[in-house]
Amino acid sequence: MADPMPMTDSPITTVAPGWAIAALGILGALAVTAAMLDGALAARAGGGPGGKMGGPVRPFGEAARLMRQRRRTTVEADRLLWRIGGAGLLVVAALMVTVVPLGEWTIFDLDVGVMWFNAMDVMVWALVWLTGWGANSAHSLVGGYRFLAHGLGYELPLMFALVAPAIAAETLNVGAVAAAQEGLWFAVWMPVAFLVYLLGVAAFSVWGPFAPAIGTDVSGGARAELSGVDRLVFEAGRYALLAAGAAFAVPMFLGGGAGPLLPGWAWVLVKTVALLAVLVWLRRRLPAFRPDKFMEVGWMLLLPAVLLQDLVVAVIAVWRS
Amino acid sequence: MGLSDAIARSASRHAHALVVEVPGSWRTRMAAERNVAARGWRLAISPADADVLVVCGEPGPGLAEAIEGIWHQMPGPRVRVYVHAGDEVGARLDEAHTGLLDTDRHRRDAQQRPTASELLAEQAGSRAESHGGHGDTDHGSAGGHEGMDHEGHEGHEGHEGHEGHEGMDHGSHEGMDHGSHEGMDHGAHEGMDHGAHEGMDHGGHEGMDHGDMEMSPGGIPLAEGGEDRDGLEMDVLQVRLGPVLPHWPAGLVLRCSLQGDVIVEAQAELVDGRVRQDDEVVGPARGIDNIASLLALAGWDDAAAEARRIRDTALEPGDGAAGSELERLRRRVRRSRTLRWSLRGVRRLSEEDAHARGLPADAVGDTYERLMGMLDRAVAGVAATAAGDTGTRTDDASRTLSTDHLPHLVMGLDLATARLVLASLDIHELLAGQAEHEVSHG
Amino acid sequence: MYAGVVVMASAVGVLVLGLYALHRLTAVAPDSLTVLPFESGWAPEQHALSRYHVRWYLATLLFLAFDVEMLFMYPWAVVVAQVGVTAVVEMFLFLAALFVAVLWAWREGALRWV
Repeated sequence: MADPMPMTDSPITTVAPGWAIAALGILGALAVTAAMLDGALAARAGGGPGGKMGGPVRPFGEAARLMRQRRRTTVEADRLLWRIGGAGLLVVAALMVTVVPLGEWTIFDLDVGVMWFNAMDVMVWALVWLTGWGANSAHSLVGGYRFLAHGLGYELPLMFALVAPAIAAETLNVGAVAAAQEGLWFAVWMPVAFLVYLLGVAAFSVWGPFAPAIGTDVSGGARAELSGVDRLVFEAGRYALLAAGAAFAVPMFLGGGAGPLLPGWAWVLVKTVALLAVLVWLRRRLPAFRPDKFMEVGWMLLLPAVLLQDLVVAVIAVWRS
Repeated sequence: MGLSDAIARSASRHAHALVVEVPGSWRTRMAAERNVAARGWRLAISPADADVLVVCGEPGPGLAEAIEGIWHQMPGPRVRVYVHAGDEVGARLDEAHTGLLDTDRHRRDAQQRPTASELLAEQAGSRAESHGGHGDTDHGSAGGHEGMDHEGHEGHEGHEGHEGHEGMDHGSHEGMDHGSHEGMDHGAHEGMDHGAHEGMDHGGHEGMDHGDMEMSPGGIPLAEGGEDRDGLEMDVLQVRLGPVLPHWPAGLVLRCSLQGDVIVEAQAELVDGRVRQDDEVVGPARGIDNIASLLALAGWDDAAAEARRIRDTALEPGDGAAGSELERLRRRVRRSRTLRWSLRGVRRLSEEDAHARGLPADAVGDTYERLMGMLDRAVAGVAATAAGDTGTRTDDASRTLSTDHLPHLVMGLDLATARLVLASLDIHELLAGQAEHEVSHG
Repeated sequence: MYAGVVVMASAVGVLVLGLYALHRLTAVAPDSLTVLPFESGWAPEQHALSRYHVRWYLATLLFLAFDVEMLFMYPWAVVVAQVGVTAVVEMFLFLAALFVAVLWAWREGALRWV
């Protein structure tokens, strides 16, 4: 290790960098699982004669469709920024999972892993906005700015929710945070932070109630002009972000690989898939949070709630030590 | 080629269709939407997302022009079908499916179709032509729209010089174009009526266009500043909503001046003048359709899909199931606190407002109350139809709105909210107002 | 230590580029089609890229204040249990002061648009 900084004692072993490819594979598998589940739920809701066909295989058909479809460029589009925005979501999701330990293994044992995750999720602001801006289309532009408006509402609560486990664990190292939950998961005694975190995951994945940026009411918003592989990487990026967000919640709130019988890595995957299912299902249940209304909720309800949560956690942490 | 075929088959099974309703042909559109869902396809909300363009009814010249614009924006593989009656939807969409599978044709189409700069040059030509006073009859109503274009846009003047030869080009290929349309309407899908001849016609003008309009990169002017409500100088964007826009009243064109996403000014008109009611008014299906649109715009896809399914049931003769399903939907919607929170207080109308705008008394209240009213009316309507009562027809006839009143209902709202409000008014028929005539001639 | 991240970034880069390369083979045309932006069938009257009026610009200023606060929050979170009560009191007094500003801005209508 050429790192000059003293490492926190981490119960985690850093595996050879080549394993990053396996981690990317797992992220991909999780994203496909989420898409299949969404397809199945959509088919069930669609119902009717023949409406059930498709279902879980829907994402594969959609991928085939988009791989066959031609790409489009709008007149005088800001092409470079537009493509960076569309493809960037997938990259950000992949960089997020580098700090998530799979049981006892990790590929990036960063002392400030929590901040790393935070930095990645903030990049989504730029990426979604660029996707909306680059297209030089009115609907896209409105969609891109709607995402920023949502961001102003969800980002601060999300940040303060991420701080709560760090206070209790006295570290920003993700593996150490997971190890600090022996006996009692953080999700149990900091439920507000956990719930706000999950909302934040839905939000940076432009998912479910946080989808107005790509909503029907603005004709698809930020993705209105995307077609072919450009659209495919954008959609894949959203599912990957959802999966990465669910995976990160496991060491932060759900005790990491802790659990009976199964090995640690298996527990991490089981917990991730369970959370992912909840997030996917959320979309079926909730209409959109309109950005103009949500801003007030974010600032006047979620923010004070997580700040109080942080206070409670800090007081307990001081009292324990 | 095995892989390519497999991709084509899988892709065509999961096609996305953009359904366009010609004003009055709402039953045909509902049949098309139902068929799209039944074959596991999806409804597209923009041309970028669409493989199949389904035109329901026979479009007038103005709508046909807009449909042409949409057709040029579809990425390809693309197929266009015209459906004239609900009972031929299945056959037309079967043809569309077959058409999607023909990879070779789509490859040829991709090479031959015109690009945006050619289309812009062509449009500039038609604009110059209508200025010169010899616009052909086909574009008569389009000329009406263009008349308004010129208020405050110097950019267009540059085109006048092209009038002579642009006009000729335009005439010659427009003729061919429309000829081939008419011929192929019933042939269900034509891949490439816009052949290579357009490219040849316009290839030579592009250089000149760019030269003339330094402030117009790509042939489109830049947005101009306007006084903002906060005293900042921000740009005003002119955006037209409709006629090809899902979950939008058929045939309506709303010209909006946007500052950010807020509509600061609006003018409403009907795309081809008066709306013909081709389809007979029966039962509560139209009301339920409007509920589905409102739920879709509110971002609740599941509830919208359920509403569409109930609408289809209600259209069938001798429905028994629609009543209980509708009751369930009403409970579901009523239970959603998020929906209530999101629609509460949105464009509250007083009794005087409703009266002044010629809206029925049930438009009083906010968007949430109007949605609840729509659900209540639908439940009552289904019950009445089941009991053999046709009294709901008179109620349907009163659900009209003049385009004169529309701008006042949406001004000051943002783009998305305006669409929510419009959907919540449960309009069944739009009437051309007085203002429209003044605008299009002035 | 950073090799893992580098490999991950390269792998996802290769994945995206690979998809684009594959798309050139499987799509009906490898190049992208230049189209007009969607505007319900009309040609746009202006370029959409413009000086856009964001109605919530006041909220962005508030956000900035809190965002800078997060810079202190992360290091504080690591040491708060060791430093003890003073750290808690100081940080939450600071947060309370910031939140008073939020309340004031809220009362002034900065968080409501339209």
